[in-house]
Amino acid sequence: MSFLVLEHIKKSFGQTQVVKDFNMSIEKGEFVSFLGPSGCGKTTVLRMIAGFENPSDGAISINGKNQNKLKTNQRNIGMVFQAYALFPNMNVFDNVAFGLKIAGMNKADIDKRVKEMLKLISLDHLADRYPYQMSGGQQQRVALARALAPKPQVLLLDEPLSALDAKIRVSLREEIRQIQRQLGITTVFVTHDQEEALSISDRIVVMNAGRADQIGAPSEIYNRPATRFVASFVGTLNMIDATVADPAANTVKVGENTVKLKESIGALKGGDKISIALRPEAGSLSESAKGDTSITGTVVLSHFLGSVIRTKIDVGGNLISFDMFNSPDTVQPQPGETVTLRFNASDFLIVRD
Amino acid sequence: MKASKALAWFAIAIGVIYFFVPLIGTFEFSMRMRRGAYSFDAYQSVFSDAQFQSTFGFSMLMALFTIIFGMLLVVPTAYWVRLRLPQMRPVIEFLTLMPLVIPAIVIVFGYLRLYNSSSWIPFTGSIQGTNMLLVLSYITLSLPYMYRSVDTAMRAIDVRTLTEAAEILGAKWPTIMFRCIFPNVMSGVLSGAFITFAIVMGEFTMAALLNRPAFGPYLQLVGANRAYEPSALAIIAFAITWFSMGLLQLVSRFSKMAPSKA
Repeated sequence: MSFLVLEHIKKSFGQTQVVKDFNMSIEKGEFVSFLGPSGCGKTTVLRMIAGFENPSDGAISINGKNQNKLKTNQRNIGMVFQAYALFPNMNVFDNVAFGLKIAGMNKADIDKRVKEMLKLISLDHLADRYPYQMSGGQQQRVALARALAPKPQVLLLDEPLSALDAKIRVSLREEIRQIQRQLGITTVFVTHDQEEALSISDRIVVMNAGRADQIGAPSEIYNRPATRFVASFVGTLNMIDATVADPAANTVKVGENTVKLKESIGALKGGDKISIALRPEAGSLSESAKGDTSITGTVVLSHFLGSVIRTKIDVGGNLISFDMFNSPDTVQPQPGETVTLRFNASDFLIVRD
Repeated sequence: MKASKALAWFAIAIGVIYFFVPLIGTFEFSMRMRRGAYSFDAYQSVFSDAQFQSTFGFSMLMALFTIIFGMLLVVPTAYWVRLRLPQMRPVIEFLTLMPLVIPAIVIVFGYLRLYNSSSWIPFTGSIQGTNMLLVLSYITLSLPYMYRSVDTAMRAIDVRTLTEAAEILGAKWPTIMFRCIFPNVMSGVLSGAFITFAIVMGEFTMAALLNRPAFGPYLQLVGANRAYEPSALAIIAFAITWFSMGLLQLVSRFSKMAPSKA
């Protein structure tokens, strides 16, 4: 049986249902991210796990024990908040020791555990500092140590990196992942940042309008989005309007181009409209590139972005964004130029609502 | 530009004269008890008066109880309103403003009707009960200032997140209140306390109508029967108020030096 189980969770605030039949099983030691736009219900699910909100329906269990009737302070869960939430009147040591004192641990053990935690986050030299004397990144690391100190069964991270600057975000997310692996703690991470979710998760739950649209490994979410929402929310995607050419041969028409798809078109007939998606980094302009299908179009725009050259190509009224890595030998396409993009049939995704 | 600056200085000068001339006059008069020479005789007379000591001490004690019980009422209320009942905020703000609108004499008559010795809760039936009623009436009078100062301090910290952070670490309500919230709104608590202290020390209506030996009625009594001592007492009363305000400034300056943002 899974360690953290959410079964048919529903939550309404007045007439508004913000979580609609949410189901999820998380294994012990797993790092799962809830990814979605603002208002999709991800934080509400996290707050229900913490006990700050009660589900309108459904059950939450941790290690086989139902949590619905337990208060927040009885659940033994650690949580890191977006706004750090360190106690301003306590120094770093006292903040980390807070949960241990509440648990009734003796002074010597508290001392040992706090030092251990501060060493883990490499801030053992700042034990006497107060929160206002520290940077945002340092405060969030202390918040992480405070959450981990009482050895919680589950660690909840509520957009812990959102208030930090870009550089610190990257380093801290790597640190969080490394600590999580080291301790083997089951972790639920809420974020609206797809890069964060893709980079540190074992699995991602893409949430939309109170439901889990797709649950899967980062590569699966990125490469095989299950719905149009997932496809548009995770990564950049070209949505192309096409017409079924030959269902038997699995081909579609994009402008004047006939494109072969790997995924089955299904029950559609010739002439039916179909939406297909293509990642900007798929395909190549090189004539020597391998590929079993191609598209020809006219360059509309081309931007040099340093490591990448981003080109917009008009293909039968569809504006396709195409990224290629820059190298000293790369020739930047010019507006008005006719180019041919080569792909593998597997690069195209059929998008269903 | 020059004319407007001169006008500003003129306005300031008028304000200073309006405020300081009577004060200097009062101070000067309080020093003239001894004929032909300035002295602190009036102050000496006031300080050596047993009634001054007893009324001052009584009012100090009342102020202390008012601050303690007032804060025990206001801090949890302001906290609860911020955390669980934000929709009640306008109602609470309105209620706490009532003592500024309703004259003290109306409030105290209301109390006397409600809590007289033949009522269901006969507060005025004993000295201790009347003292208790006096403290409660002082709490009512200081409510507008206490509530606002505490509420402002709570606005500076993220009360909800701090509460949740403490709760998820296993803390129960008393621990959250006294170890996580109270210390972080201490600047507001102290500001409210100093204002309350100044109000209680000079309050006349409640104490006089409840017939308690407080400092306010003593000021009135001395003012009606002595010549120089009332001036000395006026200066002492000003000094108490300024001392309270000075402490208030000091507290707010310290709280600025150590921002209490979560």
